[in-house]
Amino acid sequence: MIETHGLGKAYGRGLYALRDLNLKVDKGEFVFLTGASGAGKSTLLRLLLLQDRPSEGVAIVNGRNLARMSRREIQAYRRSVGFVFQDFKLVSGKTVFENVSFALRVLGTPIEQQRRRTYQVLKWVGLQHRLNAYPLELSGGEQQRVAIARALVNEPQLVLADEPTGNLDPDLSLEIMNLFREINAGGTTVLVATHDRELIKWVGRRTVHLEHGRVLEAPASAAGSG
Amino acid sequence: MLAYALSEALVNIRRASQSAAMSIGTIAIAFLTLGGFLLFSENLGAVVERWASAAELSVYLRDDIDAAARDALIAELSSHPAVAAVEFVAKDQALDRFTTDFPELGDVVGSADNPFPPSLEVRLRPDGAAAGAADAMAAQLTERSGVADVRYDRQWLARLLGVVTTVRLAGLAIAAVLVLGAAFTVAAVVRLSLDARHVELDIMQLVGAPFAFIRGPSIAEGALLGGVGAVLSLAALWAVFVALRGRLNEAVAALGASTDVKFLGPENALLLVVAGLSVGAIAGLIVSRVVR
Repeated sequence: MIETHGLGKAYGRGLYALRDLNLKVDKGEFVFLTGASGAGKSTLLRLLLLQDRPSEGVAIVNGRNLARMSRREIQAYRRSVGFVFQDFKLVSGKTVFENVSFALRVLGTPIEQQRRRTYQVLKWVGLQHRLNAYPLELSGGEQQRVAIARALVNEPQLVLADEPTGNLDPDLSLEIMNLFREINAGGTTVLVATHDRELIKWVGRRTVHLEHGRVLEAPASAAGSG
Repeated sequence: MLAYALSEALVNIRRASQSAAMSIGTIAIAFLTLGGFLLFSENLGAVVERWASAAELSVYLRDDIDAAARDALIAELSSHPAVAAVEFVAKDQALDRFTTDFPELGDVVGSADNPFPPSLEVRLRPDGAAAGAADAMAAQLTERSGVADVRYDRQWLARLLGVVTTVRLAGLAIAAVLVLGAAFTVAAVVRLSLDARHVELDIMQLVGAPFAFIRGPSIAEGALLGGVGAVLSLAALWAVFVALRGRLNEAVAALGASTDVKFLGPENALLLVVAGLSVGAIAGLIVSRVVR
């Protein structure tokens, strides 16, 4: 699903956020990216989301070299990727339902399909009773569930999450991680960047440890704990 | 897509209603200027056209021209394709006309020594083809024996048209500068909207929304601001026109052109609105290109 070869990103002369990264993530796998702040976790996700271009090396997703994509191909690629951020990135002026259906609306999806799919996915994350609430009326955990619903509404093959529990307390973090496990159980590849070792231990999946932009260790898939 | 772009554009305009109102006002002032020049131009064109259609050629004859030469000239002019009619005005008739038109000057001229020459008043056909032929004919007549002088209206009309064209071009240049300024105002407002929508735009890019969806609302917002501004300018121009119509008609009548001033024709009114929509849409498109 994801392969990187010698992938690197430098900001300015010699300032590498990521360097010589060789990584392979199989289809349907659940992988944690961990490491201290500045280790390169977010940079890798930004490169995989094509928010940034690598300075060196290649990243291949589903057999396609991300560096060689045209603008239109980037748009098509992003439709197959769901994303979740630490700060949720919800539009405060839109309701829960509108925030999720927005991701379908701007792709020109027919309105009936937008409604049906949005309701399904909001029900799946347990927010079917908060459809008309605005983000600021929700708890942090609820806001992140809306963001996850939005990431899933297009039925992506790959979900990228950057510190999705960074703003949540431990109980809510477990709740959110359970959602990611369920997403992965459905066959979607999940890549989660987090520095929360307790959470990684609790979920018990393969972990790629980054330090100063390089992979420190990339052990083979470990058995999940639950 | 269009419905989405329009609905988002309306939301943006509502969200920043004060900036939008100022932008619409600036566009309206710029297009009011442009519309004013168009109105002036159309009406002056009509007046000049009226004068041109009534253009006459006056051929002043020598006092000593004999009747045979005079009649031959009349016959020749009457058969010319540019000529509609020829009338001979004898010296006495010319004096009578003068004293009738300017009775207070009758004493100055006196009646013993009539200074007015006999003349031929040649009424020309109003079409453009005749104008060219009349120009040549006027030039040839000055060389003829028995002809003292030739006065041709069209020559000063041509000079007047030159002045009108210069004024028209200057007006359009001023209006173009104002419209450009207004376009910058629209661009600034659309840019503010983009900043206010940055989270939405981030999400749209990340979900792979087509550029038409990302940029459409900005283009629609610019077009709406420009279009509404242009329509308001038309309304303001109409109000000014109605208020001044009486005085303008008097001024035109004083110039000797029996024509009523008219408001902009439908083509020019439509052109103004389309120009407003286009200027706004282009400003919106340029600003929206910051989103890549």
